[in-house]
Amino acid sequence: MTAPGNGDNVASLRAQLQRTERQASARQHQLERYAADLREVFKQERSRAQQLRASYKATVQALSNAVEARDAYTGKHAERVTAYGIALARASGLDTHAPELEFGFLLHDVGKVGVPDAILFKPGALSDDEFALIAQHPVIGSEILRDVDFLGEGKLVVRHHHERWDGEGYPDRLAGDQIPLAARVFAVADALDALTTDRPYRRGTRFARAREEIRSNAGTQFDPDVVDALETISDETFAELRAGNA
Amino acid sequence: MTRTILIVDDDPTIRKLIATTLEDVSGYRLQEASNGAEAVERAVQERPEIVFLDVDMPRVNGIEACRRLRSDPATADATIVMLTGDSGPQAERGALAAGADLFLTKPFSPLHLLRLVDRIGATG
Repeated sequence: MTAPGNGDNVASLRAQLQRTERQASARQHQLERYAADLREVFKQERSRAQQLRASYKATVQALSNAVEARDAYTGKHAERVTAYGIALARASGLDTHAPELEFGFLLHDVGKVGVPDAILFKPGALSDDEFALIAQHPVIGSEILRDVDFLGEGKLVVRHHHERWDGEGYPDRLAGDQIPLAARVFAVADALDALTTDRPYRRGTRFARAREEIRSNAGTQFDPDVVDALETISDETFAELRAGNA
Repeated sequence: MTRTILIVDDDPTIRKLIATTLEDVSGYRLQEASNGAEAVERAVQERPEIVFLDVDMPRVNGIEACRRLRSDPATADATIVMLTGDSGPQAERGALAAGADLFLTKPFSPLHLLRLVDRIGATG
């Protein structure tokens, strides 16, 4: 049955088959090498992203510390109000995974560097001109941070943290939903810290008293929905956040 | 003038992998050849700055192609990177004798490939 020359054909086919097998195996090993490199690059990228986030945080913290260092009696106000604010933001339905919110909370008063000591720390009543200068600090702050892209929406908190729900706040006299939600949340967190912290001009009150006071300003100074959200967070939670940022 | 890389391998999958890895990021125009004879022919036309040259190819193998590239003044200045498989140190010695500049051992690291091209591009 075997035709002449078939032996050569078989040998040639066998050689071709071996070559194909070698090639297939080489391809597989090469693909595995690509996968290994991809994995390494991914790990490096992940670790660099973590480093970058950490250095953003440290930079924001340093800037916040610079503001706080000037105002000895507020202590760690920025840290506390940030902790309260993040909890309240979550309860108000904001996405708290992105760090922009935290950065905005920490830097809310950065514009105070542009307000003279004599006005910022004046014990008595402020004249209209003096108040006008103080009311510029959110504008100064948002100008200082204008080109810092990674702060994102956090910059809106800096600009609008003194707006009021009824439109009587500053600097832009925004009202209701015109005020970014993060800034409305911050205003409540800021009041909560002010009302529960000893200052030369105000004795600390318990959280319950603070809640009452905030509640009585819902719909005028504060967003009523954010005030409702405040009620979903217990005194114990706030006390723990406070202790963590004492 | 556009700088060119010539990729020579008898396996189209490997050629495609190298080309895809170097596309855009290398800044080079990429050309391919599937055996030694074709490689020499393309190199004379395209004057590549870098040649990736597989050692183990049918017809004219990488060693012979390397020798021919070096002996032709039109292609003698190219940086020749030999792609060696399990061919061993003997093949490497042969490739060096034939005038190869560098080696890339298969399976090669794509990161190493990219860095190599960056380095040659920066010095060449």
